[in-house]
Amino acid sequence: MFEAKLIQGNLIKKIMEGLKDLVTEANFDLSPGGVSLQAMDSSHVALVALMLRGDAFENYRCDRPRSIGMNLVNLSKVLKCAGNDDTMTLKADDTQNNITLVFESQAEDKYAEVQMELMDIDSEHLGIPDNTYDAIVKMPSAQFSQIVKDLSSIGDTVTVSVTKDGITFSTSGDVGTAHITCKQNTSMEKEADHTTVNLEHPVTLTFALRYFVTFAKSTSLSHQMSISLSKELPVMVEYAMGDMGHIRFYLAPKIDDEESMDDS
Amino acid sequence: MRGRVRVSCLVSALLAAPRQSLCRWRSACDRRLTAAASRIPPPGSASRLPPAMKQRSIASFFGSPVVGARGGPSSSGGDGGRVKALEPGAAPKRPGDEPKPTSKPQAAQARSPPKGKRPSQDYGVDAPRKPKRLRKAKGQGKAAQPEGVAAEEDVIDSQMESPRNEEGRGQAASVADVAGACLADSGKEDGSQGADHSDTESDADSRTSASSESEVSAENLGGRKAGKNGIAEPGGGTPGKGKATRSPAAKKRGKKKAAQSKAGKVEGVGAASEAAAALYSEFKEEDYEDWDAAKGAPYKVLTDTFQKIGNTTKRLEITLLLTNTFRRIIKRSAGDLLPAVYLCVNRVAPAHEGLELGLGDATLIKAIAQATGKKEALIKSQYEESGDLGTVAVSARHTQRVLFPLPPLTISGMFQAFKAIAMAQGSKSQDQKKQMIGKLFVSSKGNEAGYIVRSLQGKLRIGLAEQTVLTSLAHAVLLERDSTSGKGSLAERLEKAAQTVKQVYSLCPTYNVVVPALLEHGLDDLSKHAPFSPGMPVRPMLAKPTSGVSEVLDKFSDCAFTCEYKYDGERAQIHVWHDDAGKQKVQIYSRNAENNTSKYPDLVARMASCLKEGVKSAVLDCEAVAYDIQQKRILPFQVLSTRARKDVTVTDIKVQVCLFCFDCLYFNGRLLFQEPLTGRRQVLNSVIKEKEGEIQFAKAMVSREVEELEGFLNDAVAAGTEGLIVKTLDATYEPSQRSLNWLKLKKDYLEGCGDTFDVVPIGAWHGKGKRKGGYGSFLLAIYNPGLEELQTICKIGTGFSEEQLKELSDQMRGYVIGKPKKYYSYGETLIPDVWFDAKAVWEIKAADLSISPVHQAARGMADPSKGISIRFPRLVRVRDDKAPEDATTAEQVTEMYQQQTLVQAKKKSRRDMD
Repeated sequence: MFEAKLIQGNLIKKIMEGLKDLVTEANFDLSPGGVSLQAMDSSHVALVALMLRGDAFENYRCDRPRSIGMNLVNLSKVLKCAGNDDTMTLKADDTQNNITLVFESQAEDKYAEVQMELMDIDSEHLGIPDNTYDAIVKMPSAQFSQIVKDLSSIGDTVTVSVTKDGITFSTSGDVGTAHITCKQNTSMEKEADHTTVNLEHPVTLTFALRYFVTFAKSTSLSHQMSISLSKELPVMVEYAMGDMGHIRFYLAPKIDDEESMDDS
Repeated sequence: MRGRVRVSCLVSALLAAPRQSLCRWRSACDRRLTAAASRIPPPGSASRLPPAMKQRSIASFFGSPVVGARGGPSSSGGDGGRVKALEPGAAPKRPGDEPKPTSKPQAAQARSPPKGKRPSQDYGVDAPRKPKRLRKAKGQGKAAQPEGVAAEEDVIDSQMESPRNEEGRGQAASVADVAGACLADSGKEDGSQGADHSDTESDADSRTSASSESEVSAENLGGRKAGKNGIAEPGGGTPGKGKATRSPAAKKRGKKKAAQSKAGKVEGVGAASEAAAALYSEFKEEDYEDWDAAKGAPYKVLTDTFQKIGNTTKRLEITLLLTNTFRRIIKRSAGDLLPAVYLCVNRVAPAHEGLELGLGDATLIKAIAQATGKKEALIKSQYEESGDLGTVAVSARHTQRVLFPLPPLTISGMFQAFKAIAMAQGSKSQDQKKQMIGKLFVSSKGNEAGYIVRSLQGKLRIGLAEQTVLTSLAHAVLLERDSTSGKGSLAERLEKAAQTVKQVYSLCPTYNVVVPALLEHGLDDLSKHAPFSPGMPVRPMLAKPTSGVSEVLDKFSDCAFTCEYKYDGERAQIHVWHDDAGKQKVQIYSRNAENNTSKYPDLVARMASCLKEGVKSAVLDCEAVAYDIQQKRILPFQVLSTRARKDVTVTDIKVQVCLFCFDCLYFNGRLLFQEPLTGRRQVLNSVIKEKEGEIQFAKAMVSREVEELEGFLNDAVAAGTEGLIVKTLDATYEPSQRSLNWLKLKKDYLEGCGDTFDVVPIGAWHGKGKRKGGYGSFLLAIYNPGLEELQTICKIGTGFSEEQLKELSDQMRGYVIGKPKKYYSYGETLIPDVWFDAKAVWEIKAADLSISPVHQAARGMADPSKGISIRFPRLVRVRDDKAPEDATTAEQVTEMYQQQTLVQAKKKSRRDMD
C-alpha cells in the first residue's frame, strides 16, 4: 500500500510542467524514503532526476518499494482536475494496476477523486555517481529563465562559460550574437537573490538551448537554482525544493564545432 | 575552493541502502569499456520492477577518468548485478560511433574504407585520417582504439559519384535474371575483379591490422580468396577451374555474347557458379558468431553489408556479400531473415498490398532537424550540396552527445519501425512519422543513419537488385540448411536453388510465405509450401519489341504463332475466387502488381455476370481499355488516363472500360502457367462469356503470310490499337519475363525503331527567340536498374507544338533542382541550363539508335566505353502512369541497338546478294 498526502497539491502540477515536455512516460519509484523518478528523453540527451522525500509529505506511507509507470501527458491532464490550493493525496494499492489521486479544497467543500491506469514501462535505472564539478553557479531561478528565454529567440545553442568573474551565456543566430554575463553578487538582502560562483577551473561548454528552455519550466519550484559544470561532463541544473527534495536535470553537451572542424 | 556536489543515486532502493555504481576498465587490452553495475535489491522489492532492470553509471559515458578510478570492489560483490559490456569508444562523446564489442571485425572494416583509388562512398570514416581525434581519445584515457573514432563529416557518399567499373557490368544479369545467367554474367567480370583486387589489397591489409583480433570477416575473406583462387589474378595468374582469365578483348566478346543469349537460357553450369561455390566453401563457422541471438540481429550487420555492396559493382561479389550475411542470420537468428530480406528489397510489405515507404524529402529534413537539433535550412543547404540526404543525416548526428548510448537498432526492430511509419495515417500522421524517424536517428550509429534515410526515401541506391536478393537467399538457404542434400556439384545445386526460389517467388510474390517456407521446408518442397494462390498478383509476362513483320517471321520461322491486337490501355490481372466464407472476391492488379481494384469498381461488379457457370476461381490476364459504348469503338490511352486512380464509385465513372482478355493463368484450382498458349486459350474460352463493350477476347489470328500479317497489323492500327502482339502457340506463361515467345509489333515500326522509349526528363535548356521564357529543349535519360542510374540518351528539342512546349515547361518547372542528382549519368559536354528531379516519364519515338560519345545510356554494354543515343526523338505522350524506375532500361536499349545492327546487316547482305 502506498499513500501520500501533500498539502500543497499544486507542487505536483508545477513539477509536471517541467517534466512532461522532456519525457512522455516514466516510472515513479516509491520507497519508504520517498518518491523518486528518473527518466531520459527519447534521444538520450537529457535526464531528469526528481526526488521528493517522504517526510516532506503530510502523510507518507509506503509498505514496500515499487515502481509505477505513468504517462506524464495523461497525468498532467488528470492534474487539471485539481484546484491550485487543493491538497492532494496519492494512493496506490500494491495489488492493483492503477493509482488514485484525491484532490480536496482547503475549505473542504470540494472533493475530487481520479483514478488512472498505470503502465509497464521498460526502463533502466541509471546510477548517477557523485561528481565534483569544476564550477557551480547559483543564481535566481527567474533570472536564469529570462536569460534562456531571451537567448532562445536568437539562437539554437548556448555556450556557457564560467570564469572567476561570473557566468556568461552566449548564442548566435541569423539575427546576430548575444552574450549575457551574470557577475557574482551577494549584496542583496535575501539570499535567494544572490548570484554566487564557486570555481575550481574555468569551464566552457555548449548545449542545445531548447533543453534549457524546458528545464526553466521548473522555475516556479524554487527561488534559486544552480548550474554545475565540468569539462566533458553533462551539466547539472538543479532546482532544490528546500526539505522537500529536488529536481535535477542533466544535459549532455554538444560537440564543439571547433573541435569537429579541427578534425575534419 | 572546490565545489562538491553529491549526486545521489535515485533508484528507490538505493535510498535506503545507497550503493555505489561504478564502472572500470576490465582490462587494457580488452579495449572495451565495461561498466559493472551492481545493485542489491531491497527485500521484497522488484515485484513490479522489470527483471531486466539494469543500473549503469552516468559518468562512464562521459568517460571521465575519475569514474574509471572509481571502479571498486563493490562491483564484484553485487549479487543481482549484471555486468554489462558497454560500448567502447565512449559512445556519448561520439554518438556516431558504433561500438558493438561483439562485432569488432566488422566495425574495424567499416571504419577503414579503401585507401585505394576508389573514393570512399560509404558512411564510414577513414580512421587513419583522423589522427587528432584518436590522440585525443587516448589522452582522455578511454577508448584509445581506432574503433573509437567516430564517423564524421568526411563521409563521402553516394555511389553514383564513384567511377563505375570501367569495363561496365553485366547488365544482362539484372533483367535476364535466371540464376545461371546471373552467375555467368558475373563470371565475365571476374577478370576485372582480380585486377581491382590489387587496388583494394592494401586496404584489406589495413583492415586486418585495424582489427585487433585476427578475425577477418567472411566477406573479406571471400574477397581475398577470390584473388588466391585465381578466378583471375591481375596480370593473368593461374586460371581456375573455369576459363576465367580473359584478355580485355575476350571480355568484351564474352559480354556481347552474354547479352545476346540472355533469353533466360542457362548454358550449363558456368565458370562463375563454380567460382561462387569455391568462395562459399571458404565461409567458416567462426565467421558468424557475432550477436546475441536473443536480442536479434543488429541492423548494423545489414548496413555494413549494404556499404560493401555499394562499394562494388560486381554481381558475383554482391551476391557473395549478401549470401554470407544471410547465412549468418540464418545461423544465429533465423527469425530475422524475413525482415532482413524486406530491408534488402526496401519494402515493408508485398508489393500488391500497396504499403510503401518513399517519404518526401521535406518530411525527412524536418525529422533530421528535430532529431539533431539543427536548423532545417542548414540541413536543406547541406542536402543541396551533397545531393544525398543520407550523408547529411550521418554528419548531422555528430554534434550532440548523449548521456547513454541507445540500444543498438535491430533488423526486426527496423522493419517494424519502417512498417509503422508506412502505415501511419490520419491527421497527425506526419508528426507521428517524424517522431518515429527521429527515434531511429538518435539510436542509429555510424553508417546506419544514412541507410535509414535512403530506405525511407524509398531508394537504397547501392545497386542491389531484387533478383540478386533472391539468388543470395537461395544460396544461403542451400548452404545453411540443405548443404548435404541434393545431387550434383555445389555449383549445380547453387544454380538450381536460385532458379527454384526465383520461380517460386514469381508465382508467390510474398516473402511472408516464401521465406518461412524456405526456412522450414527447405528448397526441395518449396513450391508446395509457397504455392500460387488467387489474390496474390503474378508479375505479368511481357513482350519484346521488334522492328517489323519480317523480323517476326524470322524469329518464329519454325514454330506456330498467333497474333493478337495490342490494345492501348492498362494491363489488368483479374483474380476471381471465393474466400473461406464462400463469398466471391475480385481483385484487379496492374502491370506492377499494384492493387487497382478500387480504380475499377465497374469491372469488379461486371465480373460475376461475365463468368461462365462452374467457374469458382480464375486469374485472367487482360487489358482494360477505354471504350465508347455508343460508337462501339475503343478509345486511346489518354482517355483512360483521365479516370480517377483510387476509390472510384461506379456512379461517378465517365470513362467506360472494356476488358480484352488474352490469357488465363489459373482456373478452378488448376495452375496453368506450364500449359501452352493453346491450352490456356481453351480454358479462357470456357471461363468468359463474351459481351460486347464489357468483356471481349483479344482479337487474334493465325497466319504465316507477310501480306496477311501486314494487313492484320493495319486492321489493328485502324481499330485504334497500338499494333500486334505475336505469340508462339506452344509457349508457357513466363511471369515477369520479357520473353522471346511474345513479340510486340507496333504500328510505328515503319517509321524507325520498332518501339517507343519511356524516358525521364532530367534537364533542360532555356528557350531562345520564340521559345523565350520556357524551355527550348530537354535532356532525356533512361534507367539502368543495375546501377540505379539515370543515363542520358538524347536531347529533345523538336516534335512538339509551342503550346505543348509551354505546358511541358510549366509542368517541369516544379521539378527544378539546384544540382544534378548523384545518380544522373551524363556527358561532360552536354550540361543543361537547369536540372530536374526525376519525376516525369515521357514516351518518345525515335528514328534509330547509334553509339554516342556523349550520351551515357547503356554505357559499356553495346560499346566498351561509350553509350547509346537515339536520333530524331519526338514526343509521343507524357506517361503519368509510369514512374522513373519504369522507364526503358539500359538493357532494352542495348537490345534494340543490337537488333537494329542485326537487321541492317541483313539488309546489307541482301543488297549485296542482289
